[in-house]
Amino acid sequence: MNEQLTAAGIPAEEITTESKSTFSRWLDGIRTAIWEKWVDFRHEWKKITASALVSPLLYMVALGWGLGSMVNTGGRPYIDFLVPGIIALATMNTAFSSVSVSLNVQRLFERSFDQIIISPVPMASYIFGQMIGGALRGMYAGVLIFLISLLFGTSIHVNVLFFVVMFLNGLVFASLGVLASVIASSHLDISRFSTFVITPMTFLCNTMFPVDRMPAAVAVIINCLPLTHTSRMLRAIAYTESINVLSIIYLIVLAAVFIALTNVIISRKSNL
Amino acid sequence: MIQIKDVTKKYPKARKYALENVSLDINTGEAFGILGPNGAGKTTLMSIITTLVLPTAGSVTVDGEKLSRQRIDIKKKISFVTQHISIRKDMTVAEVMELSGRLYGLPGKMIKKRSMQLLEFTGIADKAKSTARGLSGGQQRKLMIARALLSDPEILVLDEPTVGLDPHARRKIWDMLIGLKLKGLTLLLTTHYIEEAESVCDRVAFISGGRVSDIDTPANMISDMGSFAIDVFEGERTKSYFFKSAEEAEGFIKTSGKPVKVRDSTLEDVFLKKMGTELG
Ligand SMILES: Nc1ncnc2c1ncn2[C@@H]1O[C@H](COP(=O)(O)OP(=O)(O)OP(=O)(O)O)[C@@H](O)[C@H]1O
Ligand SMILES: [Mg+2]
Repeated sequence: MNEQLTAAGIPAEEITTESKSTFSRWLDGIRTAIWEKWVDFRHEWKKITASALVSPLLYMVALGWGLGSMVNTGGRPYIDFLVPGIIALATMNTAFSSVSVSLNVQRLFERSFDQIIISPVPMASYIFGQMIGGALRGMYAGVLIFLISLLFGTSIHVNVLFFVVMFLNGLVFASLGVLASVIASSHLDISRFSTFVITPMTFLCNTMFPVDRMPAAVAVIINCLPLTHTSRMLRAIAYTESINVLSIIYLIVLAAVFIALTNVIISRKSNL
Repeated sequence: MIQIKDVTKKYPKARKYALENVSLDINTGEAFGILGPNGAGKTTLMSIITTLVLPTAGSVTVDGEKLSRQRIDIKKKISFVTQHISIRKDMTVAEVMELSGRLYGLPGKMIKKRSMQLLEFTGIADKAKSTARGLSGGQQRKLMIARALLSDPEILVLDEPTVGLDPHARRKIWDMLIGLKLKGLTLLLTTHYIEEAESVCDRVAFISGGRVSDIDTPANMISDMGSFAIDVFEGERTKSYFFKSAEEAEGFIKTSGKPVKVRDSTLEDVFLKKMGTELG
């Protein structure tokens, strides 16, 4: 084998990937996807950082300073109520769009996704890596917001769990992003998906104002939305209250369902 | 050996079949060319062999093992240079190579070393640090070829690999393909440069309207048609006549009485003749 390239004028090298186990192929897939997201980040970190900040900052200024004095948040400063919600929001948006938009471009426009399909990494592993990469990007945005919120004079409490919840939220929405991008048949589909799924959550999910005064029927729907659980948990941690473990389980289950669904769709699609 | 058995493909929402009952055996170490007009189904066939597209019916086996998207042990032996440019344009050339190396599970050091050698070979080493978007169309194609060779494949599938390349680069790629073939790689390729297929391919198949019509060596195809070609300028256009023996050809020249040009038949003649009769 290693003489082939030499014959063509290309120096050859012994390539021994013969005995790679399925497990190590899985690791290859996950690591490759995360590496790819890291390369994206390295190329574009200024733009990524700026765009992760714009809308959260606007919310903080407009709501925190403007509207905040009028909202009743149980005696606590409104900004302390708002910041966990904005962090939940930022991790959602960044995780979702960092995965869905770039995968969509790779699949439909650059068609570089072809190389992923034909390559010997299990598709599920690559998808999983994308989700982790997206979740990390979401966390990046969340941490940025947290740091900036300190300038706004918040006094919220964070611990390890706070970051775990951010990551889980990122995982849910990154997996939703992958799902959206494999369903999408055009670029516009992604922004439609955003309009119908992501934007409603932005406003409804306990992010900017308390939802305990919503009508019961609406409250049921709102309680099914993952972002509601994230902002509730982040806020609980920020207030040094205890969180509901069921919410954590719910997020994990949702992420798993999205991953599974994506895989089924990809393996069924006869031409992506 | 790659065995393509009764492969049929109908794209969703398409009315016509892109491929209909295609069966082909491609031997290990063989250079196999697939020739046919636009829309014949060449890309579809290659995409099925590389699992990019799944067939509606039929199967592909490689060395007796049935190919599927899940068979990573088979997939790792195959590389595909697609007809369309399929690279991440916002990555640098070196990163495009690294991405592929990682997907094929090569160790980092080897990726770096081989990438440099392959970029050197394809003549784009000086572009290693620029983004793929900054490459010309031909340079992007060279990058795809370099990338396909990175994993040292046993089966190399090339869908019009030299389209858009300058004559020098094209020749170099075809020489490289001959070199790869001599050392035992299985090559499967399409091209509209029939003379190149003639020089590289051990066997070629004609495909048109999703069906394979002929499979043979270029030499057999030419001698079956007649290896003596005579071009006659008749009125508006040049018409070619083919003869199996010199005597027949001479007889024709005597009776025609028009200015003629005598030459050897080429695979392109076979191609044009077959496609001409199929177009009616
Ligand atoms: N994604 C698709 N969806 C629907 N129809 C398709 C798709 N891809 C190809 N086709 C159809 O299938 C047929 C074969 O296409 P294919 O791309 O395989 O042709 P080809 O031989 O590679 O042509 P060319 O020489 O132009 O590259 C064509 O009629 C084409 O319109
Ligand atoms: Mg084609």
